[in-house]
Amino acid sequence: MFLNGISVIQPIAAELTLAEKGISAAKVILTGFVVVFSVLLLLIGVIKLYSLIVGKAQSIGSKRTVKSDAPAVKLPAVQRETEPEENTPAEEGIPEEVVAVIAAAVATMYGGRGRAKIKSIKRAGGRSAWANAGVLDNTRPF
Amino acid sequence: MEILNGFLDAIKGIYLSSGLVSLDWQNYVMIAISCFLLFLAIKKQYEPLLLLPIAFGMLLVNLYPGIMAAPHINLVEIASANDPAATGHVVQEIGGKVYYEDPTYGGLLYYLYQGVKLGIYPPLIFLGIGCMTDFGPLIANPKSLILGAAAQIGIFITFTGAIFLGFTEAESGAIGIIGGADGPTAIYVTTKLAPHLLGSIAIAAYSYMALVPIIQPPIMKALTTKKERSVVMEQLRPVSRLEKILFPIIVVILIAIFLPDAAPLVGMLMLGNLFKESGVVERIAKAAQNELMNIITIFLGTTVGATASGTNFLKLDTLKIIALGLIAFCMGTAFGLLFGKIMYKLTGGKINPLIGSAGVSAVPMAARVAQKVGQQENPANFLLMHAMGPNVAGVIGSAVAAGVLLNVVG
Repeated sequence: MFLNGISVIQPIAAELTLAEKGISAAKVILTGFVVVFSVLLLLIGVIKLYSLIVGKAQSIGSKRTVKSDAPAVKLPAVQRETEPEENTPAEEGIPEEVVAVIAAAVATMYGGRGRAKIKSIKRAGGRSAWANAGVLDNTRPF
Repeated sequence: MEILNGFLDAIKGIYLSSGLVSLDWQNYVMIAISCFLLFLAIKKQYEPLLLLPIAFGMLLVNLYPGIMAAPHINLVEIASANDPAATGHVVQEIGGKVYYEDPTYGGLLYYLYQGVKLGIYPPLIFLGIGCMTDFGPLIANPKSLILGAAAQIGIFITFTGAIFLGFTEAESGAIGIIGGADGPTAIYVTTKLAPHLLGSIAIAAYSYMALVPIIQPPIMKALTTKKERSVVMEQLRPVSRLEKILFPIIVVILIAIFLPDAAPLVGMLMLGNLFKESGVVERIAKAAQNELMNIITIFLGTTVGATASGTNFLKLDTLKIIALGLIAFCMGTAFGLLFGKIMYKLTGGKINPLIGSAGVSAVPMAARVAQKVGQQENPANFLLMHAMGPNVAGVIGSAVAAGVLLNVVG
């Protein structure tokens, strides 16, 4: 037959007795149950442990960041009240809601890792946002 | 007259070499089955990415069995080693006679099939799956792994059924793995344990995966109460990038050390996931989950389908495999749900047992079914992300179960 290249040869095995079949089945069920559950329970333990460690490390890291930022927070009250209007990074005509959405998108992308600060928001000229995204997508890897 | 005779001889030669003469009734039955599978893939869109190439491979091999033919060497007797006919051929002497080797090359699908036979394609598919999988829900709720493990019990129970139906230990292992509801794992295990059953097992596995939305809901409703199905689970915690990066590294270290037989599948799955989560090899991640995955899917699907020739597929054993595969699937779903119910009780009603059914892998179909059945009771309930935890745990679980089977009965 044409299929001789794909191992159509039946395995030659002695017919098992009923008792042997029972023993084989019990062996596989027991081994399978114990090994699969043991490995996955071990994984649960390991995931919980490293999640705990990572969580603690990150909370310590963020506390340190807050501490190092502390002097910057102590700005004179007057300055903070007056500055937002002057320091608004958005170009005129861009509504506050759009600025909030852009800030939220930046915060989502960087999460708690980077302390991103929006310095300016300008209307994109030339290409549309979709075209820009396409260009970025194709050029970023290089 | 001579021209007419020559013409008739040529027509006769073409007729004698055609499928009209060489094909038997089994091939025609398989052609009908493959057309039905093509209908399911195209019209009903049942797992079309795999069912379509599988069905077409099946169609091709039954129309032209030579496409799967292995290469072989004919020995042609010659008068002496200097015979001009032997020029360019390997000459050998057997029993005082001189022969030259006249090789016949194998069919196209024979060569492509080597990737299945040697266990290369399934791990590569896992690489692509890893790139597309978000283990976040599993890391956020590691208890999901218990449900992923529970759903694998069906594999081992089906092994029992198969062995008592007269299959060998190795064949029973390959049949049982259908319950893992993971196509590449089923193919990988079958090529190692019972390659002659590959066509039947792969078709059964992919058919049942496509039928998850039909098979699972009745079992889910039968084994859970309305109250249990209505449970709204708490939102999962956000998972940090570092946790997601560490996950594939830790999993592969643990599984490859404790269960080396599962290392090719789990290793590739986790490599793909690390490509995705590291964020530093975007090009490779894209290639693995798109181009590579698609190419391998074409080769895997077509060549697995091509193993289902009439003589190889139309046997009583195939019907037994299809029946056992269904049992494996149902048992996997049932055990996932039962463990879900146990967790529901232990957590004081915080876990919706429906997510246990997603432990059978079949990513993401089984998770979507859990979401759909949950929403039938409470339209405001969104179980999808909670079900994705056991769902991806099922992929790891079935790879571990595959490792156990390869080790115990391989």
